[in-house]
Amino acid sequence: MRIDATDVRKTYGDVTALDGLSLSVPSGSTFGIIGTNGAGKSTLFRLLVGHDRPDAGTVSVGGTDVTEDGRRVRRRVGYLPEHVGFPDGLTGREALGVHRAIRGLPKDERIAEAIERVGLTADEADRRVSGYSNGMQRRLGLATVLLPDPDVLVLDEPTAGLDPRGVDEFHAIVEDITAETDATVVFCSHVLPEVERLCDRAAVLHDGRVRAAGPVDELAAGADAGDPETGHGETASRSGRGRGDLRAAFRRAIGDDAARGARTDTEEVAP
Amino acid sequence: MSDPCERSAEERGEAETRPDGGHPDATAAVGALDGESEVDATESESTATVDAAETATSGGAREALRHVFVVAVTEYRLAVRSRWALALTGLFVVFGGTVLTFSGSAVGPAGAERVVASLTSLAAYLVPLAALALGYDAIVGREDEGWLAVVFSLPVRRSEVVAGTYLGRLAVLAGATLLGFGFSGALIVREFGTGSLSAFLGFLGGTLAVGAAFLAVALLLSTVAREKTHALGAALLAWVWFVLVHDLLALGIVAAAEPSDAALSALVLSNPVSAFRVFVLSGLGTTAGGGFTAVLAGSGLSTVSLAAALGAWCVVPVAVAARLVRRRRL
Repeated sequence: MRIDATDVRKTYGDVTALDGLSLSVPSGSTFGIIGTNGAGKSTLFRLLVGHDRPDAGTVSVGGTDVTEDGRRVRRRVGYLPEHVGFPDGLTGREALGVHRAIRGLPKDERIAEAIERVGLTADEADRRVSGYSNGMQRRLGLATVLLPDPDVLVLDEPTAGLDPRGVDEFHAIVEDITAETDATVVFCSHVLPEVERLCDRAAVLHDGRVRAAGPVDELAAGADAGDPETGHGETASRSGRGRGDLRAAFRRAIGDDAARGARTDTEEVAP
Repeated sequence: MSDPCERSAEERGEAETRPDGGHPDATAAVGALDGESEVDATESESTATVDAAETATSGGAREALRHVFVVAVTEYRLAVRSRWALALTGLFVVFGGTVLTFSGSAVGPAGAERVVASLTSLAAYLVPLAALALGYDAIVGREDEGWLAVVFSLPVRRSEVVAGTYLGRLAVLAGATLLGFGFSGALIVREFGTGSLSAFLGFLGGTLAVGAAFLAVALLLSTVAREKTHALGAALLAWVWFVLVHDLLALGIVAAAEPSDAALSALVLSNPVSAFRVFVLSGLGTTAGGGFTAVLAGSGLSTVSLAAALGAWCVVPVAVAARLVRRRRL
């Protein structure tokens, strides 16, 4: 399912979070959004699921304008917020049960499937969330996202706070999803190797604008991938993505000064 | 900034009925697919459209009710597990029992009515505080946990989440009130016989209403507050205002200005605690022990208008919270 954002502006008081952002995510792609803190990634994701509305411009998912019909969009989208959490008094299975019931999904078996898919054991799922580690909460969050077999997955910094093993397992889950389904996966990350590994396409956000977008291999190879409207061609595929220097592409896209300011983000996460 | 999905769905009266989280392209036809309604193909197009729209509307209403129910059950379960229900019940049992044992108004009516009047004075302080404590973190607390962002990401209206949260916590408060003060009621009936039951039931109804009203106020404060501590502070201020200050101010106004009956009524109705006191004590034929309430006998407020005022104090804050939560930025 295709995602389109056209000339989107969003301000919070004096702060311009998105400044005429335009972006297209082709159906079925795994799309990484990279940018420094404050680049507008989370704001864009909030607009994608209708948590917020743009001051100007349009955001659509599968042709449905999110501003006009956010609930319809949310039926088709699984969204994992950056700060996901669950009430301490619920078990993991019960939290999933709330999702199942609100979505009107018919079968409890889907809960068991989702639990298994994210690598939680049945025992863990029956424990109170208060006893969960951060990694387990992220897994549970991912299970809630996967529960309805969504057409679009929107994951806001899904590996933040995970240990290396958790990150690896998350990568495996996303790779399974992309291999087994036609779902469009959009996630933002500070971890450039993660984007290189999982995504066939990426966009660099800076100061609320898309500075570069296109197939990951073309970005990494230094191609001028500045046309976010088209996503810069249809040549890349998940199986055929390149392994160039995405970090250099990122620095090139946001400018050297900004890149120096963003050093912590890129250095911290790029081994 | 309003939540766009709610704005569109609620203001346009549109209803979606696709229950499986899949592709909801054929919205109006879902009711028929579910066997809820079948549109005769031979009927005119306009009739079919109307039927489909009605089906979609009723399906949408059912869906909304299901959402509210799911959220309410979850809130109830969480409150019970966190011992809120037990704590409130115990609180009401202990304080009610204490009042029954040691107190009784010297200037009020005798017998069961005297005890009910004392219970009313207790409840006027205790129940609003309990309701505010139960509800102040209803929205902002769930946001702190990260749960609100998760739930709002589902195909649910934010107003449905607010309504479900209120009803779930109300069920806890109502259960604790019935059980906790029910214990006092059982002792009253045992002591004074079943003839005292009507006075006690009036008290119980008023207590439920004033608790529901303050829970609604707490929900509204929780929706407006950006942080849990702000909500807690605002809830405490609300308690001080409604329970302590308002009566004193009103009493001062009455003493200084001798307001008209209409103004007097407005003073009563602008405070759910005053409305509760007048509601219960007027049923006993007394306003003794009610502070400002003691001067309200001439205000001309009927039981119906007092009940309506308490009802409004329950509904209006929740409605405002349901509206404001759309603007809440996660």
